[in-house]
Amino acid sequence: MLLIVCPHCGPRNSDEFTFRGELVTRPDVAAAAPEWRAYLYEKANVAGWQEETWFHVAGCRRFLRIERHTVSNEIRQVRDVADAP
Amino acid sequence: MAKYSAFSLFRRGLTGKHWPPAWRHHEMRPSYDVVIVGGGVHGLATAYYLARNHGISNVAVIEKAYIGSGGSGRNTAIVRSNYLTPEGSRFYDRSVKLYERLSDDLNFNVMFEQRGHMTLAHNDGSLRTMRWRAEVNKLQGIDSSVIDPAQIKELAPAIDVSDRPRYPILGALWHPPGGIIRHDAVVWGYARAADARGVHIHQATEVTGIGVSGGRVTGVTTNRGEIAAPVVVNCTAGWSSLISAMAGVRLPITTRPLQAAVTEPVQPILDPVIVSGTLHVYVSQTARGELVFGASVDPFASYATRGSLGFAEGLAHHVLELMPGLGQMRLLRQWAGLCDMTPDFGPIIGPTPVEGFFVDVGWGTYGFKAGPVAGEQTAQLVATGKTPELIAPFGLDRFASDDLTAEKGAAAVGH
Amino acid sequence: MTSHRLPDALGQVIDRSQEVSFSWNGVELTGFRGDTIASAIAASGERVFSRSFKYHRPRGILTADGLDPNLFVQVGGEPNVRAGHRLLESGMAVQAQTGRPSVRFDVQAATGLLAPYLTPGFYYKTFMGPRPLRRFYQRTLRRFGGGGTVGEGLDHGHPEKRYAHPDVLVAGGGPAGIAAALGAAAAGASVMLVDENHQLGGHLRYGTPSDLEALDELRRAVVAAEEIEVINDGVVAGRYDHNWVGVVARSGAREQLIKARAKCLVVAAGKIERPYVFAGNDLPGVMLSGAVSRLIRLYGVLPGQRAVIVTANLAGDLAVSQLEEAGVEIATVIDLRRGGQLVKATGRSGVKAVEVDGRRTVAADLLVTAVGWTTPTSLLNMAGDRPHYDATAARFIPGDLPDDVIATGGLVGDGTTDELVAHGEASGAEAARRALRLRHDWARATPRAVVRPRVSADAPIAAPPLQPATHPEYFYGSTDGFVDYSEDVKGNDLAIAAAEGYDSIELSKRYTTATMGPIQGKLEVVNAVAIHAGLTGSTIAATGTTTWRPPYAPVTLAALAGAGEDPVRRSPLDDWHEAHGVARIVAGQWLRPNHYGDPAAEVRNTRERVGIIDVSPLGKIDIRGRDVPKLLEFVYTNRWSKLAVGAVRYGVMCGDDGIIFDDGVTARLGDDRYYMTTTSGGAGRVWNWLDEWLQTAFPEWEVRVTAVSDGFAAMNVAGPDSRRLLERVVEGAELAADSFGYMQARVATVAGVPGCILLRIGFTGELSYEVHAPAGYGLQVWEALLEVGRDLGIAPFGLEAQRIMRLEKGHFIVGQDTDGLTRAHAAGVGWAVKLEKPDFAGKPELMWEEAAGPERTLVALQPADQQLVPPEASQLVDGERIVGRVTSSRMSPTLGRSVCLAQVDTALSNGGAALTIRLPDGTNHSAQVLDEHAHFDPQGERLRG
Repeated sequence: MLLIVCPHCGPRNSDEFTFRGELVTRPDVAAAAPEWRAYLYEKANVAGWQEETWFHVAGCRRFLRIERHTVSNEIRQVRDVADAP
Repeated sequence: MAKYSAFSLFRRGLTGKHWPPAWRHHEMRPSYDVVIVGGGVHGLATAYYLARNHGISNVAVIEKAYIGSGGSGRNTAIVRSNYLTPEGSRFYDRSVKLYERLSDDLNFNVMFEQRGHMTLAHNDGSLRTMRWRAEVNKLQGIDSSVIDPAQIKELAPAIDVSDRPRYPILGALWHPPGGIIRHDAVVWGYARAADARGVHIHQATEVTGIGVSGGRVTGVTTNRGEIAAPVVVNCTAGWSSLISAMAGVRLPITTRPLQAAVTEPVQPILDPVIVSGTLHVYVSQTARGELVFGASVDPFASYATRGSLGFAEGLAHHVLELMPGLGQMRLLRQWAGLCDMTPDFGPIIGPTPVEGFFVDVGWGTYGFKAGPVAGEQTAQLVATGKTPELIAPFGLDRFASDDLTAEKGAAAVGH
Repeated sequence: MTSHRLPDALGQVIDRSQEVSFSWNGVELTGFRGDTIASAIAASGERVFSRSFKYHRPRGILTADGLDPNLFVQVGGEPNVRAGHRLLESGMAVQAQTGRPSVRFDVQAATGLLAPYLTPGFYYKTFMGPRPLRRFYQRTLRRFGGGGTVGEGLDHGHPEKRYAHPDVLVAGGGPAGIAAALGAAAAGASVMLVDENHQLGGHLRYGTPSDLEALDELRRAVVAAEEIEVINDGVVAGRYDHNWVGVVARSGAREQLIKARAKCLVVAAGKIERPYVFAGNDLPGVMLSGAVSRLIRLYGVLPGQRAVIVTANLAGDLAVSQLEEAGVEIATVIDLRRGGQLVKATGRSGVKAVEVDGRRTVAADLLVTAVGWTTPTSLLNMAGDRPHYDATAARFIPGDLPDDVIATGGLVGDGTTDELVAHGEASGAEAARRALRLRHDWARATPRAVVRPRVSADAPIAAPPLQPATHPEYFYGSTDGFVDYSEDVKGNDLAIAAAEGYDSIELSKRYTTATMGPIQGKLEVVNAVAIHAGLTGSTIAATGTTTWRPPYAPVTLAALAGAGEDPVRRSPLDDWHEAHGVARIVAGQWLRPNHYGDPAAEVRNTRERVGIIDVSPLGKIDIRGRDVPKLLEFVYTNRWSKLAVGAVRYGVMCGDDGIIFDDGVTARLGDDRYYMTTTSGGAGRVWNWLDEWLQTAFPEWEVRVTAVSDGFAAMNVAGPDSRRLLERVVEGAELAADSFGYMQARVATVAGVPGCILLRIGFTGELSYEVHAPAGYGLQVWEALLEVGRDLGIAPFGLEAQRIMRLEKGHFIVGQDTDGLTRAHAAGVGWAVKLEKPDFAGKPELMWEEAAGPERTLVALQPADQQLVPPEASQLVDGERIVGRVTSSRMSPTLGRSVCLAQVDTALSNGGAALTIRLPDGTNHSAQVLDEHAHFDPQGERLRG
């Protein structure tokens, strides 16, 4: 059970959140199939620091951008997606 | 290779003479015909079948820790072939058949106990899926059928088939050929047999780079030096994205921990393997008397194998829903392995855009049971350069061409 | 039976005024309150407590605490009870778990004769053929498995779990742990102190009189410190990521799980005494010095008559004096520090003689060893620490710890009680400082937090040095002794494993099963490592320990499961259903009415008159704002920008992969007000998905999404008389067909309840209205409808009737008629995909699906034998090749024939195509694809009427 310090709600157990995966960028709707399928399926799947999206589903219901180390699970930054570029 | 048998055991017992090593340490050659990355059941089986079926024995298996240290030694050792799709069922049926005669093939008792595999259905939707699987299985010649609660009770008296539980049991998919196996023995048996045929197993050797030139693989770099090779096969789990990235190949894989746990031993109380998709749990009892439990993958991607308390809690809760008499049994040990999840819950096995670089990865939560067939087919692919029919549906290119496998339809009832 | 009891003395934990009767292998015995099961049995003079796992050798007390591998007993129906720890209770029926017919005479001890053949991995080398015999081998081998028997009536209940948020959690209640708790509390922290024993104090409990004095003082300070919560007979089972700590609080067989988010964890787990490997080291009567101290000082039990003591440290020296004091004859003391040597112990069912210093044989019934320590670094390992081996101290020492974990006490070093206390106290104060700092950091990371904790800006508090004492390295005298008692693994077995190629410690462990037993290597691991290192020409430091995994001590499934139940969701109308003979069906989290006795009659009544069904589980989402049309255009595949106020539209939602994940209707109730319904199972998923697009892709859109699923009871009034019925109870909306047509919505007062939403839609294919009433008034509306519709023949119908009617009408169910790979065209709703829209979720994939054509297509199917209802999931075959499957099937009470939906290969999906159905019984039956999905009223005249 990780501890995620939500910028809105404070320190909360990770079971209040759902993991939405590593940060991906939706291509232009007119993009060719390879680009579109790379967006849908391919993953960097890094073993290290990763930018990812979580959803505070049982809290403020905000989507959050989290920097987490995928080996240690250490979290070094939590921002609302609205505050993340 | 010194033959194992009751007689040889007896003779050595009398003389007190040690057995020779099951596998040997070798100097690393500057080049091999085939380099296999990953010394688990997939890598070792591939090496074994390359040598046995195709006479290719100038093969190195590179393992960064010890053989079987990854998923092969961390899974719950369940073998079955009652998959949802025809291609999935056929593929795993071949694996079950190879497992059935593996002890003889390898002259190593892998203790495959075909005690039957039971997947419980707790609602009409999952009962429908069980029937779907049974019907598809039958058409592939696989022993698989839907049974009712009374039959469940007969096969596994510890199971509560009353309407007391939150999710009462409505029926089950029953698959007699399924069962459990001694996972380490499979690894050791393949290692010993591959070694006997000339394969070099390099443990404590880590691949740090893969050479690619002009779109062709040229070899690997390890912490013990360079190896030239025209063929490199990625047989890793947990680290497959990182190994493939060394060759510039991106995979549609997310790595997630899958946890398992074992109780203290007790006298026999459970014969078949029990799976409940609704409750996300599977249970079997080993020959030693321990109950072995598994569940679904962790809720977020991670390379951590430390395990979580939430897993143990959820597991215990659901086990007691199924078998309420086990409250006083004690959880002894929990651990985690890494599962490479693909978008369609099918493996990725075949060539890549880099010539000579093959993958046998993306095995999610069902890699161990595929070990023999994946090894056999990968060996054939590498030896002949042609993709065998059994693995044709599982190529890497299916994601770009959107020809996904349909196993996802029943993914919720895996293992 | 009290012949082995010593006189009362200071420090004893038994209460001689309270006798406790129990039985041991059927013999009635008496112990005292405060006894453990083992101390009470030992007081009767018993030496053999169990038989070993493989060779069935007799085993007796080794450590006399919870780790004792030889003291696993059956108590009534409870297997694997630690007799060295569990307190004696009146009436306990204690049985040895092993040994047939009895633990003293075990016929299976004959397996000992086979020892030369039962080398590690022998089972990998035999029992292979012939194949038909394998099942027999396997069954036979299972009977040799270990452990007790799970009995009947074993339900000790499922205790509630609880959460705790201590600033500092201290694992271990010896002097350093107690001091750490006191130090942390003094620095303003809230503290939880967890100790595995029944009384605080660790080794002080059975130490010298001055130890007892010091302990008394520490205990009093703990009682005085209100901020400290003490958990006796507890265990810190695991430390997980971000200091999520599992604590188990025991009370006899009952265990409660406490889940603590510790801001700082202080590990004061002390040291575990290590057995010595030598020939005969498992004979009853061979004990560790700690066992002797515990038996004598805590329980007043005489451990033997004539003792040989082998000592390399102060604990051994202490045991010598305690034995002397207890009147045990000291045959000899072998001081390993002065070059003494222990060769072997001999005897059959217990020690009779000990061979020491070369060839000298000493008669004795007790052999006490004190050869060194294992540091239980388990919790530190779980925090990522890799302990390193210190050869001068002959034990592993913690390495680098994360910021939220601190080690103190015997784990770190040795010292006098004062030194241990000083180290603990400073560690506790530092833990408090870090915890309070963390509180501050959390508040700062939450800009809107109201509470601003006080910050202590103090510099780190350094603990005074605590070094491990120099200790000679004694692990094994010969490899002919047992390394792992639970698993019956000898040092020789490790040698065999190494010679056979299992030459890394992990492979050796797996091959021999050393350290894999119920005490998880806590006693044996360093000995195994030492022997393995010796065999492979390596060192202990280079070999390292195996990985310690949670839990630290085994935890009952009952404690882990707790009292929690999976939640059940019930509609606001549930009591009514209950009172009216409902048959329920589990539908995800919901319990729903499946029928009220006769689903076919419910169908006929609805088709002919009027029926009403509770559809409250539908997902309901209130969507408001200027940009709602943009959102709907994006999340549904069809067009929404021109939806008029008062109109409803059906829509399909696909992910960006083009795969259908939900469907439903959305109504426009006002200029900026929309009301969306989703499938019951998809309610949460769709709500989250809307928020995801709004927050991550379209933050500039002005849309507010609110889930109101639980805010409304929903019921569908269906049938030719539904309008007549509603006209009697609806105010504020015109119901006539020309003013409230099909796919229209109104907000009106129903049965006196204002603010109800009426949607004229028809999943059943009938003229029907969905009435959404505020949940608290749902029952009022429901009962009113039934009441005023009595003359119209209104009757409730359940899910089964609804499923039949929707199937007659050819409406599909997402997740039943579609699967994890079904896109819109394959489901037959390509008409609802508007590719001319500039963008929407899944557009590119749906575009490509349309161009290529779907592989499979959903069709209506009619078996040639019209009375045949093929079970759902029956396959459609061409020879033995699968060309599709039946996704839904029922007998239609309306049409008097079977109705089916099926997914088939697109090439076979045209109306009139002939197909073969393979039933589960193996028979084939022909069937035909119909032109339309709807078997009933394909033109939708009833629906639109």
